[in-house]
Amino acid sequence: MNRIDQLFQNKQKDILSIYFPAGYPKLEDTLPTLQLLQDKGVDLVEIGIPFSDPLADGPVIQSAAKQALDNGMSLQLLFNQLKDVRKSITIPLILMGYWNTVYKFGVDAFLTECQNVGIDGVILPDLPLEEYQEEYKEKFEAAGVHNVLLVTPQTTDKRLTIIEKAASGFLYMVSTAATTGGALQASKEREAYFKKIAGLDIPSLIGFGIHDKTSFQHAASFSNGAIIGTAFIKALEKGNAAEFLESLQ
Amino acid sequence: MKIKVCGLKYSKNIKELLQLPIDYAGFIFYPKSPRYVGDEFDTEIPALFPKNTRKVGVFVNEELDVLLATGEKYKLNAMQLHGGESAEYCQKVKEAGFEVIKAFQMNDNFQFESLEEYENICDFFLFDTKTENYGGSGRKFNWKLLENYKGSIPFFLSGGIGAQDAEQIKQLSHDKFYALDLNSGFELQPAKKNANQLEIFLNKLELNTMNKDKYAVDERGYYGEFGGAYIPELLRKNVDELQENYLKILASEQFKKDYARLLDNYVGRPTPLTKAGNLSKRYGTNIYLKREDLTHTGAHKINNTIGQILLAKYMGKKRIIAETGAGQHGVATATVCALFGLECVVYMGALDVKRQAPNVARMKMLGAKVVPAISGNQTLKDATNEAIRDWIANPESFYLIGSVVGPHPYPDLVTRLQSIISEEIREQLAKETGNPNPNYVIACVGGGSNAAGAFYHYLNEKDVNLVAVEASGLGVDSGETAATITIGDIGFIHGSKTMLMQDEDGQITEPYSISAGLDYPGVGPLHAHLAVSGRAQFLSATDEEALNAAKVLAESEGIIPALESSHALAILEKMQFKKDDVVVVNLSGRGDKDMETYMKHFA
Ligand SMILES: Cc1ncc(COP(=O)(O)O)c(C=O)c1O
Repeated sequence: MNRIDQLFQNKQKDILSIYFPAGYPKLEDTLPTLQLLQDKGVDLVEIGIPFSDPLADGPVIQSAAKQALDNGMSLQLLFNQLKDVRKSITIPLILMGYWNTVYKFGVDAFLTECQNVGIDGVILPDLPLEEYQEEYKEKFEAAGVHNVLLVTPQTTDKRLTIIEKAASGFLYMVSTAATTGGALQASKEREAYFKKIAGLDIPSLIGFGIHDKTSFQHAASFSNGAIIGTAFIKALEKGNAAEFLESLQ
Repeated sequence: MKIKVCGLKYSKNIKELLQLPIDYAGFIFYPKSPRYVGDEFDTEIPALFPKNTRKVGVFVNEELDVLLATGEKYKLNAMQLHGGESAEYCQKVKEAGFEVIKAFQMNDNFQFESLEEYENICDFFLFDTKTENYGGSGRKFNWKLLENYKGSIPFFLSGGIGAQDAEQIKQLSHDKFYALDLNSGFELQPAKKNANQLEIFLNKLELNTMNKDKYAVDERGYYGEFGGAYIPELLRKNVDELQENYLKILASEQFKKDYARLLDNYVGRPTPLTKAGNLSKRYGTNIYLKREDLTHTGAHKINNTIGQILLAKYMGKKRIIAETGAGQHGVATATVCALFGLECVVYMGALDVKRQAPNVARMKMLGAKVVPAISGNQTLKDATNEAIRDWIANPESFYLIGSVVGPHPYPDLVTRLQSIISEEIREQLAKETGNPNPNYVIACVGGGSNAAGAFYHYLNEKDVNLVAVEASGLGVDSGETAATITIGDIGFIHGSKTMLMQDEDGQITEPYSISAGLDYPGVGPLHAHLAVSGRAQFLSATDEEALNAAKVLAESEGIIPALESSHALAILEKMQFKKDDVVVVNLSGRGDKDMETYMKHFA
């Protein structure tokens, strides 16, 4: 069974997912960081594939991605680093990146590598749902790789019905109209939106703007859990990643 | 295969046909025909068809002056001569500026040698079934006879073609077979066509993919395989809102009126088409310059910003976001925002802010906020990323993009707004030379908006060679270049599937050109399609060649071109033209903004 499905079967509350870019802050940090995350009880990890033009990301993730690229990170190198990851890491792993990198790598080759190393899902924010369903869905399903879809406060009800039908794994619930790295502000409309998504048949995690224990608990109270990216990257940068993870407990 | 539908008459009936891929619409001006349009035929009726449908008048042994007057009155493009007209008669019709389609009646005794004297005169032949009354019999002739036609002129196949003939037509393999002429086989009564039956038949011929305007965007924003809207869900609603509104608004009377008025009395259109006498002599041909440099703010960019600001206004937007490289689009946006009293935020790569100080000052004086983009390499690509991020965070704002790039509908929107360029060229050339079509249209390509505008009305005119010139910087193989089509491959940038410059890992690489306006690692999806399909030729010019071309134009014609436009001019040096060729170069902008660079090189 896909590890993402297993996770949501075993745990419905307070799921903690962490995002970090591969090859950051040092090229060889990908595996040690994964180990740390698993040791500190993180439920799910999103590994960022660094890209030169990350449209949906704010300044912190952009500059982390740039540093990773300057370090020499690439998608092929990431797969090489992850070759034996399943010997030690058992939590579900997701690759998050932009479509150009995957397309250029070759979709078939990409999925084969995902299968080989044990990747459970991908988040490709700029691959449109229609194109995915027409051209790639069957391949992803055959490879056992979930394509995790995003919903936002702007997503119309009509589109939400379509996304719900197409979703696999879980829904990535974007908290707010912003790129990554903003601060989450509580509001009536936002809570209504969270509740609407939580009412769907598929599990959901809230991301964008979650940065500490308080915002995590707030978000997790409306969903199955939440995703932290920017705040963790800042901790990596400062060298206090372990403390940061402990502070979330 | 082209489609001609002949024997049209009624406006209501014609409106039912407008969705079909009809290339030629035939109107019969022969009084004895049951499909004769009549003595009081309304001149508005042929005009119901779009521009790219050719209007054909069908005549049988008509007096020449009656025929020419009719052609003028109904703005016909082509004359189908269906009687015993002589070669000399055809010649006169041709000289009056009409395409000539000469019809011949086929039977087993037809002598194909008799066509020879028409070969050098007519544009097309039309082979019809021989009857007593010049066609219209509803019968087919023996198509095997076509094997005896060895001439060089393409032909229309006519005579009794009906719904049952689709398969046989698909089998036809004559290399001069050009078009099908459909008439009585698809009628409810004489001159009243059966739109349903026609549609089914044309679908059977698979013309919808083969023949429908191949260079127009489809419903999902693709030109062939390029385009689309590769955007995060975060932008979906913004982009959907624009997709749903832009065509409606562009087609509204109010928009058309406002846009035309502003182009006329604010932008300064139409811009002249200048015959460049000295340049023509230098290259031994006939060179015309389309003078976009004479618009307000000094480049074609304003055609687009005027249109988009109206769109923003009708959509109730109050805040405008834009990206800019050299600052030309930024200035054009700041200008229209000032005119309409809207808030304006322009993203500009931090490096460009330093390089293009005069344009930064202009934007500020016009009341815009200029935000330096400090991500990535701090140039146009990064400014575009920042503008899109702003739009994500501010979905109520309007993103006013500066070229034919970005997610659908931007490439189509900007192309339509820039198409005024070729619309004017057509009219001006027709007046000047009697023929709206030149032999060549040459334009520089950064994102591709001035080229898209200059090409637009010629995309389906096969006799017009379209030449796009990219900036190759220090040379295409130097690693310091912006020649996207020449060295790039398929990828995704700023929401569009197109050609782009990237490394093996799919990281988008930084372009280089002396001209900041051509310094973009992608290209509009229309151009990727024109390149891959071979419809346009993509060439490139180096920094050096562009600088030289600027000097040549300044000294020979008294015009200082923008560095971008100088790349288009530079290609004149590398191409071979015939003495009688008509060559149009789109002079996209003036050189004021580039004086510092010019001074450095020519000091
Ligand atoms: C004068 C001029 N020409 C051409 C361009 C290139 O843009 P496009 O390819 O969209 O016409 C620019 C861009 O700034 C420009 O200022």
